[in-house]
Order: sequence, then C-alpha cells, then structure tokens
Amino acid sequence: MTSFFGRFKGNAGPASPASSAPPVKKDPNAPQPTPLEKLLTDAGPLRADGSDKFFGYENFGSTCYCNSIVQCLYYSVPFREQVINFPSRSPPEALERPANAPLPRLDTDIAPATNGQNSALSPKGRNSMSAPSAPAGRKPSLTPVNPMGGPPPTKPEDNKDSPEYKKKAAMAAGPILDMNYENSSAYGMPESLFTSLKDIFEAVIAHRSRIGVVSPNKFLEILRRDNEMFRTPMHQDAHEFLNLLLNEVVDNVEKFSKAEQSRITEVDGTEANGTTVTNGVTHPDKTSAGALSNIGWVHDLFEGTLTSETRCLTCEKTSQRDEVFLDLSVDLDQHSSVTSCLRKFSEEEMLCERNKFHCDNCGGLQEAEKRMKIKRLPRILALHLKRFKYTEDLQRLQKLFHRVVYPYYLRLFNTTDDAEDPDRLYELYAVVVHIGGGPYHGHYVSIIKTQDRGWLLFDDEMVEPVDKAYVRNFFGGENVLACAYVLFYQETTFEAMQKEQEAENLAAAKQATEAEQEAVPVAAPKANGTANGHPLQHATTPTPEVDEQLPKLNHAATAPPLPTTPHYPLESVPTSIPQLNNRKSAAAMKKEKAKEEKERKAAEKELEKQQKLKRKELETQRRENYKRQEDELKQALAASKSTAKADEEKRRREGGSDEGDKEDKEALKEKENGSFGKTSLSRFRHSSMSIRHKPKFWSGNHKHEDSEHETPSTPGTDVDEKPEKSKNRFSIGRKKSTFHL
Amino acid sequence: MPVWLHSVLPPPPRYPVGGYPGAPGAGPLIETNNTLTHPTGPEHQLVVGEGTYVLRDDLHLATPPPHPSEAPVHNPNPLATTISPPTAGTKLSLILLAPRRQSSSRLYRFETATSTRSQVPPSIQESPHEANSDAGSHSVNGTAFPPYESSIAPAFGASNPHLAVINGKDAKDPLKRRKPKSNIVKSNSSFVSRVIPHEALSKRLQEHNPNGVYAFANVNRALQWLDLNSPIKEEHMTKILFTKAHALCHDINPITKGPNHLDMIMGFSTGDIIWYEPMSQKYARINKNGAINNAVASAVTDIRWIPNSENLFLAAHMDGSLIVYDKEKEDAPFVPEEQAPAGESAKGKEAMRSSLIIKKSVNSVNQKTNPVAYWQTSNSKINAFAFSPDNRHIAVVSEDGSLRIIDFLKEQLLHIFTSYYGGLLSVCWSPDGRYIVTGGQDDLLSIWSMEESQLVARCQGHNSWVTAVAFDPWRCDERNYRIGSVGEDCRLLLWDFSVGMLHRPRAASVRQRGSIASTTLKMQRSRTDGSTTRFRSNSNLTSATTVENDEDEQVIHAVEPRARTAMLPPVMAKKVDEHPLCWLGFEEDCIMTSCNNGHIRTWDRPKEGAGGEANGINNSSSNGIGGTALASTVSMGGTGSLPPGSSGGQQEKLRQIRSAGDVLN
Repeated sequence: MTSFFGRFKGNAGPASPASSAPPVKKDPNAPQPTPLEKLLTDAGPLRADGSDKFFGYENFGSTCYCNSIVQCLYYSVPFREQVINFPSRSPPEALERPANAPLPRLDTDIAPATNGQNSALSPKGRNSMSAPSAPAGRKPSLTPVNPMGGPPPTKPEDNKDSPEYKKKAAMAAGPILDMNYENSSAYGMPESLFTSLKDIFEAVIAHRSRIGVVSPNKFLEILRRDNEMFRTPMHQDAHEFLNLLLNEVVDNVEKFSKAEQSRITEVDGTEANGTTVTNGVTHPDKTSAGALSNIGWVHDLFEGTLTSETRCLTCEKTSQRDEVFLDLSVDLDQHSSVTSCLRKFSEEEMLCERNKFHCDNCGGLQEAEKRMKIKRLPRILALHLKRFKYTEDLQRLQKLFHRVVYPYYLRLFNTTDDAEDPDRLYELYAVVVHIGGGPYHGHYVSIIKTQDRGWLLFDDEMVEPVDKAYVRNFFGGENVLACAYVLFYQETTFEAMQKEQEAENLAAAKQATEAEQEAVPVAAPKANGTANGHPLQHATTPTPEVDEQLPKLNHAATAPPLPTTPHYPLESVPTSIPQLNNRKSAAAMKKEKAKEEKERKAAEKELEKQQKLKRKELETQRRENYKRQEDELKQALAASKSTAKADEEKRRREGGSDEGDKEDKEALKEKENGSFGKTSLSRFRHSSMSIRHKPKFWSGNHKHEDSEHETPSTPGTDVDEKPEKSKNRFSIGRKKSTFHL
Repeated sequence: MPVWLHSVLPPPPRYPVGGYPGAPGAGPLIETNNTLTHPTGPEHQLVVGEGTYVLRDDLHLATPPPHPSEAPVHNPNPLATTISPPTAGTKLSLILLAPRRQSSSRLYRFETATSTRSQVPPSIQESPHEANSDAGSHSVNGTAFPPYESSIAPAFGASNPHLAVINGKDAKDPLKRRKPKSNIVKSNSSFVSRVIPHEALSKRLQEHNPNGVYAFANVNRALQWLDLNSPIKEEHMTKILFTKAHALCHDINPITKGPNHLDMIMGFSTGDIIWYEPMSQKYARINKNGAINNAVASAVTDIRWIPNSENLFLAAHMDGSLIVYDKEKEDAPFVPEEQAPAGESAKGKEAMRSSLIIKKSVNSVNQKTNPVAYWQTSNSKINAFAFSPDNRHIAVVSEDGSLRIIDFLKEQLLHIFTSYYGGLLSVCWSPDGRYIVTGGQDDLLSIWSMEESQLVARCQGHNSWVTAVAFDPWRCDERNYRIGSVGEDCRLLLWDFSVGMLHRPRAASVRQRGSIASTTLKMQRSRTDGSTTRFRSNSNLTSATTVENDEDEQVIHAVEPRARTAMLPPVMAKKVDEHPLCWLGFEEDCIMTSCNNGHIRTWDRPKEGAGGEANGINNSSSNGIGGTALASTVSMGGTGSLPPGSSGGQQEKLRQIRSAGDVLN
C-alpha cells in the first residue's frame, strides 16, 4: 500500500505540477486533520495553565537535545507553573505584542471565511486563531523552511509517513512562535536562560492556538552565548543539557531573589505586595514576597539528597555525608531494569587500592566500605541512563544498546532507613529517546505523558499522539537504535494511579465499543488497545485518509511560494532566522572547531599528565602506607569480617530459621558477587550523582571525594568537570562530527 | 568491572528490526530446523544447597520465517508508531501420558544428604486418592489441577442444569473422546498456513515411551509438538505454522489425555482460540476473529482448562475479560446479559475496580453457544492466571499491578492485592494452596498468604522483571517451599521460603516488626487488623475498604510499605540463557526454562541424591526427561504439604483453608 502511495505521489510530485494543480485548488480548504488535530477536536476552551498546548520546536540543526528536554520540562506541571509564576506571571498585554507579532490578527479574520469546511473539521482551539492562517500559511512558509530547515528535498521527506515530511508539514501549518525577542525586563530579571525559557512557556500558553511550532531562537542564542560547549553545531548530550539548564535556572532564580531581597531590605518600609520596580518596569501584580518565598522551587522539584555512608575498615568508624542531586546517573547492565540499576547504584562498594578512603579518624588513606542511599526523595526523579560509556580499548565513548526495561510506575529501594516517605510512588511521565548508533551523532525525541491527552511523541516540529504501549518501544536491545536515555518520573499517589488506570480502562472500553460499532477490519493493531482513548492515526498504517491527504502533499511540494499571501513576510520570514546559518557555515565552523579542539586536546593532555603524576604520587604514598599498615589492616579486616559474620548469624538465629548457615553462605556469596563489579564514585558533577565503573579516565576526580558539597553552580563553571567534558566532546568532534536533522 | 564493558561492541545495526521489544529479531527467511546442543562447563551448572543442577541440553526451536503474504515490514523509522500485534516468548505445555506411578510420591521426601532440610521428617503419606489420580499435566505456568480435590470442590457450573444437559447429551460414550471436526493438515483455512508432520510420525507415536513427556511449544507463528524423551527430540512431531497469528498461550487437559487423545487449546494474538487434538490432527476454531468477545479481537494472554472439566476452559483476554468457553460449542455474538442470575451484576463504573462484572454467569440459562461465562475484571490487560489446587479459586494478575483472587465457583471476587509497583506478570499457587506467588515489573516475587489474605514476604534478587514463577513441588513440604523464578534478566533464581523464617523481622530494618505470618488463624487475623488500622492513617485506600455485598465482603488491600515487609533473598541466582526468559517448569528430574528466542534448556537435578531421587536421574541420561513417571504438581495439593501420618490432619488442613475462605467470603 505504501508503495502505491509512493507511486501516486511520484506522479503527482513537483515533476508534474499540472496534474497536481487541481487537488491543490480543491483541497487547501479542507486539509486532512493530523492525528494531533484529531485528538484535539473535542477540546474545550483554552486553559490558562498551558496543559492543552502542544507545540513542536523547530530544529536549527542539532538542537534536538534542547527541544526534547524543554518539552519534558514544559509538561512537568509543577515546573511549568513555577516557571510562569516566578517571579510573577506576565500580564496578558505583555505577551500580546510578541505573541502577535508573527501572527497578526489579520489572519485570524480572513481564515474562517475562506475555509468553512476546515472550521468544521479542525479543532476549535486551532480555529479560533491559527487554523485559519494555517492553510494559507502553509504555502508561503514552506519556502523558507525548505532550504534551511530540512535536508535537501530528497526522497525521505516525500514520503508522507516520514517524520521529515511531517515536520515540514508542521512548519508549514504553523503557527510559528518566533521566540526571537526577550521579555526579561518585564520580569525584572536580567536576560538569562531562565527568562528565555519563561518567554517560551508564556508565549506558548498565551497563544490562541493549541498547536504550532516554537522557534526557540533567543533561547539557543543565550545558551550558546553563555556556554561554549553548546556553541558547536554538533550533536550534544541531552542529559548534559538538562543538567546545565536546571543549574542555570537555579542560578538565575537565586541571583534574582538575592538581589530582590537586598533591594527589599533597602526599601524595607514597603508593603509586602508593594510595587517592585526593576529596570524601570512596574509590575503592580508582582508580590515580591511571593516571589521570594519560593526561591528554591527548582530544588523542591528536582533535588533529592543522597547520603553516602563510608565505613572505614580500619577503625570501623562510619562517616556520613549528605549531598544533593538534581538527577541521578545510573550505570546500565545488559538485560536489567531501572529498578536494578538504581539498586546497583546504592550497592556497597569497597574503597581500596587506588581508591582508598581518607579516614579522618585514623588519619590516612584506608580501605573502606561505602554506599550511597537516597535520604530525601525528589519530587521529580530525572534518571539518566548512562548509555554512553567510555571504552578504554577504543579510547572513545560507545553507545550501549543494553536492554533496560522501565516500568510505568516506580518506587525506590535504595532509600535510607530514616528517609521520609521511602515508599513514595513515582510515575513515568517523560522519556527522552536517543536514536543513533553512537554518542556523537543521532537524534533526540521525547515521549511525554500529558495531563489529559495521553502520551505524545515530540519530535522537533512534529507532535503526534501515540499509544501508551509505544513508550515501551525504547527499552533498547540488539538492533534497536532508539533507546531511552533520560527518564522522568514524577511523584504520584496510589489513588491517583488507580484513578488514572480506571480512566484508561474506561477509555479503552469506550474505544472497544466504538470500534465494535465501526467494525473496523484492521483487527490486529487495535488489539493492543488504545488506552488513551484517542483514535490513533498510525503513520504506517494505511487508512482511507491517506488518500485524501495526498493532495495536500502535492500542494506542499509543488506549490511555489505565493507572494500574494499577505502575511507571508510576517509569519514566515522570522522563522528563517539567521540562526539557521549555522548549518550553512558548518564547514567554516568545523575548521574553527578543529582548531579549538586541538587546543583543547593539548590542554587535556596536559591535565591528564598532571593527573597521572598525581596518581603516581598517591600510588607511592599508598604503597608506603600499605606496607606500614598491612598487618594492622589484615587484623582489622579479619575482625570486621568476623563481626559481620557474627551479626549475620545473630540475625539468622533471631529469625529462628533452620537454614541460617546456608543463608549465611549465600549472603556471603552474594556479597562477593556484589563487589565483583567494583564501583567507584566520581563526584565531579555535584548535581548529577553517578557511579562510574572506575574508568581510568575519570579517576583523577576521585581525589575530590572529600570535598564539601558546593552550592549549585553551572556545570560550565565547574573546574573539575571541564576537562572531562571537553574531552568527551571534542575528542568526539575530531573523529566525527555528524550533523543530524 | 563487568566484562562486557571491555568487550568491543559490535557495530551498530543499520536499521532496527523487529517491531516489538523483546521479540526475536527479524528472524530467518527460510524454514530451518531445531537444533540441540549440549553446552557443558561450570557456567552451565546451578549450585544450590541440595546439590548441583547440570544443564542437560539446550533445544533451540527454529523461528519460522514470516508468511509469504505477510512480507516483513521494513520500516527504517525507529519511531514508527505502528502498533505491532502482541507476541510471546516460547512457553511450554507438558503432558505425560502414563498415569503417575505410585513410587513417585517417595520423591517428595528430602533425603538428600546435602539437603538443608534433612531435618524435616518425611511428611508424605500415600493418599488413597492418589491411585485414581492420573493427572500429569503441567500447563505453561506450571500449575495443574489436582483430581484429588475434585471430590470436594463441586465442578464448575454443576449447579446449572442447562449446562449439565448439554454436557450429558454429548457424553454418550464416556470412553470415546470427541474430537474436533476439521482436519488441520487438509485445512484450507487462511488462519493455518501449513502443517508439517514428522515424516515418521506414526512410528514415533508408537515408540513413544508412555512415561515420557510430550511438550507443546510456541515460537513466533509456529507451534511445535515435541517428544522430549525421544532420542531425536529436536525433531518435532508436528509443526503447525499459522499465517499471521501467534499462539501466546496453550494448555492440555489432563483429565482427557490418553494414548490416542490429547485435548489442547491455544490462545492467539488475534483473539482466536484453537482446540487441537494432535494425535488425529483435528482442530476447531473458537472465537473466530474475536466473534464472541469483541468485534475487535482482543488477544488471548492466558488459557487454561477448568479443573476437572472435559469441555470447559478459561481464557484471559487482553481487554481484561475472563471468558469460559466450551470446546464443543459454536460461537455466537455475545451480548452482555443485563441481569446475571447470580445477582452480582455490575455495580456501576465507580465500583468497577472493586468488583467482578459478570457479563454472563455460568448459571445463565442460555448455554447453547459460547461463551459459557463472561467476567470482566477491569479493562487492564490480564497477564496470567492460575487455578488454585483446591479448584475453587483463580488468581489473576494484570498489567495494572493487581492480583485478584476470584472464587470462580461462586463467581465472586474475594481480594484485590496490588504489586509494590508496576504490572504483575506471573502467578502461581503453592502446591497446598496456602500461598500465592506473583512476579512483576517491580523485579520482585511477592508471596501472598491465602489464609491471612495478605502479603507475607517480598523476594528481591532479580535484576529485571519477573516473567515466570513456579513452585518446585518436589522440594516443598508443609513448612518449606521451594520457589523458582525467571525473568527478563535471563536469570533463574531459586528461593527457599519457610513459614518459620517469616517470623524474622526484616533484615536491616530499623523498625521492628512483629510476626508477619503465623500459622494460627487467630494471630493472623489480629495482625491483619493491626496493619489495617495503621495503614488507614496514610491512605484512604486501606485494606479495610470493603464493598458490601449481599453476603460477602470484597477487600481491596493496600500496598504494604517496604519497612513492614519481610525481604527474602534467593538461595541461587544464575544467568541461564542469553535471552530474557519467559517460562519455567519443574519436573521430577529436572528444571526447564525457555526464553523469548526459543531456547528450551533442561537442567538435571543433583545426582548425589539418594534412593528415590536417583531413580529419575538414572533414566534421564538416556531418555531425555526421566523415565520415571512425572509426579504431577497436582497431587501436592492434596498430600505434599500435610503433616506426617494424618489423613485426618489432611482433611483438617483443608477444612482450615476452606474455613479461612469462608471467613473471607
């Protein structure tokens, strides 16, 4: 069937405009609704909280890492709320200008008249504002997009089912929110990643269309201005970006709050909700107190506390240290689960040999047992699956295709005994998927559970509803290029879970009965059930609609820019912003990069040398220590072991079990197994806790074991981190810099 | 550092293949043969307290090529949103033709020198009923039905004369089994693609050792009939290739088996069910294209003969319905019967979760066509179910994480338990019916007590989802239970669970916990109450949430917090396959596992066992599965768990179980 359409398309393609002309004229008023549009047909009035907005994000060449993460954050309800409400929510008129700039009201008025059929078909939300402009805007906006956005018009995007085509269609359909302005002064904050993120969120929420495309120009501009490593047009790590973004937001918010606080103390006399004047802009509705009371909202959402317990095997003293994290990076094993990865994360590990622990009590490097458990559970648990692993053999990062299963619901086993609410229930709400064979190229998309529209796939400009079961397609495994990379779990309750399941059940039942009535012949796919209760329009499942959609394709492909369209310059020109030149000047940038890389590499080498030296020093020191303390240690170890054994036995005996002995042995065996994969902690990234399987590469960082936890700062400024990061990044780039769409 | 870290990774594939996760890849394009290998070495041994289990062989079932009409869809887009039809890894239904030999029950004793339970006195008494028992079937979940119990539990639907009439009419000659109508070899159905009988099938049938085991195994769109005792066991007896549908589950009726007759049922991804008689190659198709349960067919996820019924079987569908079919009845479009005669009709949507919606009762007067009964649990996918050894209850586990205990004779829902988190994937009953074990997406095995109606322990040790659980009836007695489990982590874990052990508070727990499980009913009751009140404070869905019925209470049980639950470590954990495992079976002389890619591995039980145990092993080397008759899990229900020398005690225990049930009812 697909081939049939292909042929049809081929005939009707640009080569034969004559044949395609009639449908163009016939159909532009009745474009077939996309699956997303269909999903939104019954949508009621627009909501103020933005939960019914489904915007794609334009890709400016390798910016999918940014798009996928920003989407995940947007659909975190508390995060979105905080972003739009901190320090205050912009008054509607503040948004009026920018929001309307690319989309003059003019369009809105024309449209309903021109496509009555469309208004009947397409969702209300869209109609009210943008749908009208969509059919008209389709033609013009295609032209600018064509040369810049996509790859040269090759086969893939001619295929109607291809994401390339859908993305183009989404861009063409618009409306496009060109976020090339910044509103930071309105918030009383200096321009930052946070303010531009807030700009985007607010603009999306304020927009009268439910669907569209965001062009996050300013956001990327700021990101690239402030962070060297994102300046390259290369593939970036979505997790690194998440971490950076969260830290930036923390930073921006804190800075602002501090400034605000000092200013308030200055003013002092002012009432709690007195007007705050910043940068000459007055915000009568802003309550400084309110703003200040939730400075730590990012912490409230993403931050958890890890307690690391280190027990010195020499003096038996246990020392504890708490550290905060914004996300957890876990190592992966083939054929494992997220649960198991988290448990492994907290497994006891021996600090010995090169990794000895500096015991304050004994005063010196000692062997020790260490484990890290979660003491305070975050409200949103961002789990980074470490699919990019440094392989010493190849001296480069490799992508791990391990099959790691993740459940829709999760609780944490690795909590401390005194943790509050250790049985907290989490639900999976977003998955960032990496598609590609290696860490240096590829594509990121996210699959997100929305408040009441089920699961959606966000692939840059394209937004598409998917089945709940679709989320499970990204466990990974052999021959599976698309694997989950970052998982977002948010706290929920048992009751909420049941409620949702019931709703799903009802929807499924409804669906089933509907399907029954329709007597759909396509039985097999339906058997899976569409839990979300929305009819799924499967990309590759041929349906009657495909036929009807063909003309639209032709239209899109063949229609030359219609300069007569009045709003063309308004709507589409801003989308083809200079940022896109990145791609064009890629070669030049490459050269630059190469140079930079060389320098960087040299620096890294230097650093590595130093680290080696340091390591050697420590090694010799350790050897001396070792010799001196060998006997002592042996004794201590023996003692500790025997006590441990005694403890174990005691416990068994208490249990009155008749299999104590055997279990004991088993326990020991288990322990041995456990310590097999000796793990070591590298704490160079204060906000992202991760255990690494002791790669030589990072071992220099272990020396910072004792360093106190620092207050969050941007990773970019983190001295410890930089060498490692840049190394990863640029060694990569040197070998291969592959652009992706 | 794990070894794999160092190994050079293979170059990434150019295109992803296989539409669904966990499924075997694209598969071959031509028909291939099964292969049998005998891997040896320490990595193919399982070391447990009682001795070492050694891998006997690895039978790899050939994955059939896709049907010519179903050309493989090569979609290079890894984000394609097409929904693939459900599939399942290889599961086995085992059947032993010969009646179980008397001697086999000796094997219930644990006389092994190395056995950790040597102090446990031999507890098994020959039951007079055992002579009659000839059940030797082990369905895909390793559960089987004890005929022993049948004398006590009334047969399902016995109270409905409408059912009885039809059954009676059909059973003119009780000795002659009715066969399905159509010949599968000559079938021109588009559902069946091809049937490939072995070239010497009749010879092999004749040569089959009556004490040997037949196995039926699904792999992709094929179903293979294997003789595990044959010297050429890798050669299938018959291979059926279906056009498109995958058999997801199957079961053999133990009470109708005979040298010339086997009643087998299979449930398909398309919602179809096939009743198949392999000896005569006859078949019948039920719920054709989902004619009964839906216009849109809902895949059959688990299927099982109703204990002691020649005709009736229960199928679980993906849409959460449990449907009783009669193998000999015709399909008819199903309209829910508004007023179920049983009186427990739907109570509205809000009560949906807490009730069993009876869309058609077994007591309905309309019993001319299928379905015989139609129950809706929730709309969540049912992953598995199991009949209790006393033939009264079914334990049903679903994707929503619920474990439902249903009294299927009374058509009543008794309990809803919930997993720690995530869906539950597998369920089984202890041979004595006192415990239910579930495995799920929380990587845990959970042990639930029927008597106490509560969770008694969680078993942590798997590194991924637990796909199959089973009791090892040969290593269970009245206090100690051996449980086996396999999972997505490719590992087989063995657990020793003893009643006494449960008194031990959770290791490493700060909070002291009272006795979790005591054997006396009184204490359990008070314990349950205690936890109820405690829990009420932090959840409005408490274990006391009851839905009042006319005469019964249904209880939704809250999730037990971790700190209050005993954690059980495994006694053995070993990676036994390269692929995620999906089935596990205990046999008299071996443990069997199978994986998603069609590997069936057989592990011989320790050889150093004395007397009875050696019996099975001696034969095994030459015979594939041991020549000794397989004692069925079945009889354990009646005898395995009972204190020595007291058939009176036996009855008492059963009464106790029952009375516990009555209390709950």
